[in-house]
Amino acid sequence: MDISLNKEDLAFEKEVEDFLAEHLPRGHEMWTKRAEWFAALKEKGWDVINWSKEFGGPDWSPTQHYIWDKVSCREVLPPVMPFGQVMLAPVLMKYANKEQQERFLPDIRDNKVMWCQGYSEPGAGSDLASLKCKAELTDDGKHYIINGTKIWTTMGHVANWIFCLTRTSSDGPKQEGITFLLFDMKSPGVEVKPIYTLGGSHHVNQVFFTDVKVPVENRIGDEGKGWTYAKGLLQHERKGIAGISRSVYALEKLKEKAQRVPVGDSRLIDDAGFKKKIAVAEIELLALEFTELRSLADMVNSGSPGSQSSILKLKGTEMQQTIHELTLEAGGIYATPWGNKKFGPKFSKGGMEMYLNGRPATIYGGCSEVQKDVIAKRVLGL
Amino acid sequence: MDFNLSEEQTLLKDSVEKFISANYDLNDRRKLAQTSLGYSEDFWKQYADLGWLGLPFSESEGGFGGDLIDTMIMMEQLGKGLILEPYYASVILAGAALRNGGTAEQKDKLIGGIVSGEIKATVAYAEEQARFNLNDVATTAEKSGDGYVISGTKSVVANAETADFIIVAARTSGDRADAKGITLFLVDTKSEGVSLANYPTVDALRASEVTFANVQVSASDVMGELDNGLGLLEEIRDEAILALCAEAVGGMDLLYQDTVEYCKQREQFGHALSDFQTLKHRFSEMFIEAEQCRSLLYRATLEKNNGSSEARKLIHALKYKVGKAGRFIGQGAVQSHGGMGVTEELRIGHYFIRLAVIDSMFGNFDYHLDQYTELMTIPEDKGEEDSMPFM
Repeated sequence: MDISLNKEDLAFEKEVEDFLAEHLPRGHEMWTKRAEWFAALKEKGWDVINWSKEFGGPDWSPTQHYIWDKVSCREVLPPVMPFGQVMLAPVLMKYANKEQQERFLPDIRDNKVMWCQGYSEPGAGSDLASLKCKAELTDDGKHYIINGTKIWTTMGHVANWIFCLTRTSSDGPKQEGITFLLFDMKSPGVEVKPIYTLGGSHHVNQVFFTDVKVPVENRIGDEGKGWTYAKGLLQHERKGIAGISRSVYALEKLKEKAQRVPVGDSRLIDDAGFKKKIAVAEIELLALEFTELRSLADMVNSGSPGSQSSILKLKGTEMQQTIHELTLEAGGIYATPWGNKKFGPKFSKGGMEMYLNGRPATIYGGCSEVQKDVIAKRVLGL
Repeated sequence: MDFNLSEEQTLLKDSVEKFISANYDLNDRRKLAQTSLGYSEDFWKQYADLGWLGLPFSESEGGFGGDLIDTMIMMEQLGKGLILEPYYASVILAGAALRNGGTAEQKDKLIGGIVSGEIKATVAYAEEQARFNLNDVATTAEKSGDGYVISGTKSVVANAETADFIIVAARTSGDRADAKGITLFLVDTKSEGVSLANYPTVDALRASEVTFANVQVSASDVMGELDNGLGLLEEIRDEAILALCAEAVGGMDLLYQDTVEYCKQREQFGHALSDFQTLKHRFSEMFIEAEQCRSLLYRATLEKNNGSSEARKLIHALKYKVGKAGRFIGQGAVQSHGGMGVTEELRIGHYFIRLAVIDSMFGNFDYHLDQYTELMTIPEDKGEEDSMPFM
């Protein structure tokens, strides 16, 4: 039993730190120098870290990925939408034909095309396989005609393309007859309606398809086998959701902010009740960090994550929400002023935003209840 | 990076497992607990022969040179067996006292005997008014000639009845709750003035209220530094908590596993209980809590083993988490077993009890949360940008 990093890993850690120190645009430059940052990443070969070597990924070991997360979570990185690089690309690399790979992957890599995900439907949430959005092959076999709707489509209102699960057959089990299609959001018959979430944010949409014509060349893999491909994709989605290192960092930041919040002549950080709640969260994270390490060690040593990895998404998102709540509480009365004018400390409004926008973390990517079902089935054999 | 056991550790684990499954059937345990001794001298001898009693002592001290990871492995397995022998008192508590504070003479006098099983010892640290506070020591040791005279009463001393020596914390200076002025003494249980009120504890182990009435000891019986015994007590506590929590984690695994098995067999409303989602979710949560405890156990043990300055904080975190999760897992197991859960017939009830006992030892979860909170690092506010990180 040994948790120390070896010499190569320590050198890699240093390399990541040095790279960030040299290239990461900080503060306002995060927005004005985005392009330079992505160029530097690409030059270093670190722009698509989750891609296989064949497609330009750096071929990192699980430990190197862990180190990258651990170091980079302490900084604010210019955000990249996960839909193309993190979620779709692994499916394309595994299941798409060569022509499709050459057509789609370069633009995903360079962030030239923005993707959205067409998975959930009003009648298919946690029970995703019961989806109904229909795709019918035309008589000449050259196109699919799509009719139906997708919901909770994050960034659907700005995305250029969608990867979409459609139903091509209703015979047999519901997991069969699902087909994985890619198409242009500008295709005739695509309509996007905004959904405003609590607090008035517009991130998600409902998308409607009326006789949308999609060439068969845009089908990934075989007709009717889309569920297999989608399941693989969900794994990639879940991996990124736990965000444990990020939560550890956020809790440290919250401790800093809580020193600025006055409580009479004292400070919030000195409030025994509040401080104890932070301690409880910190202890849970100390445990969760090691649960993640144990899972990582299993990956490194045996090639598959141990049973404890099933905990990460479930507990990781719970911890995010705990931190959202604590941040909200720290904001106190200034958690409520809304709109664009700034009153009170900046993080106060941010705390409310986190609280409101953070609720989906335990809903998407397999909700917490589904995760518990999965643990009961896979780990406990029920 | 790896969490696998070494070959030697696997052998150790297997040998304890084998012993437990051969000897610690619930019925055998019950019979053994009811004997006047309350445990088996024959088993104790076997522990000695197997080298278990010498595990934490260095080879130069006559032991087997195990580290805290080895002890963790040992205690997890012993915990699964709910053993009745005074391993915790003699090897863990007294062992920690001797290794961390014993003089060469004291080590010479005791360790060989502890390792061979011929000598047993324990540590008397608790007092009624002190609750969980190690500083609060009313028992006094007054200078008398070349030695000291000890007077006072110690509470719930593990296995004092069968201990040849009791290591006792007494006040040599200062006020009752001062951090300074505490000294540990090695006392022969047969000394004049030592009297014991013995009783079983609810988990079928044995303990005593130990009264010292003008017990004469010599200067060479001082263990560790005069007046600075608190540090040694805290060391003993750290090691004891790691051992107790390893034991608890072993029990937690069996609690959720037994519960799942039982609910697969038991049918109500025409279904196995394990078909009900409300129970499946409870089992998943019990599994998660047990794994989280295991993660903290590994983390705290590894840090302590490496001599890290973070170790004490992690030990408080561990004891808090094990106490809290122990309630959740124990109660979930009993509830899921229905009426059978509250009988003495199934082993889950005995782990349930043991987890409650462990929580009471060296401070319950509230106490350790307070301690953790006090030690928690508060980063300096560098006055950076006021917003929170994106998450």
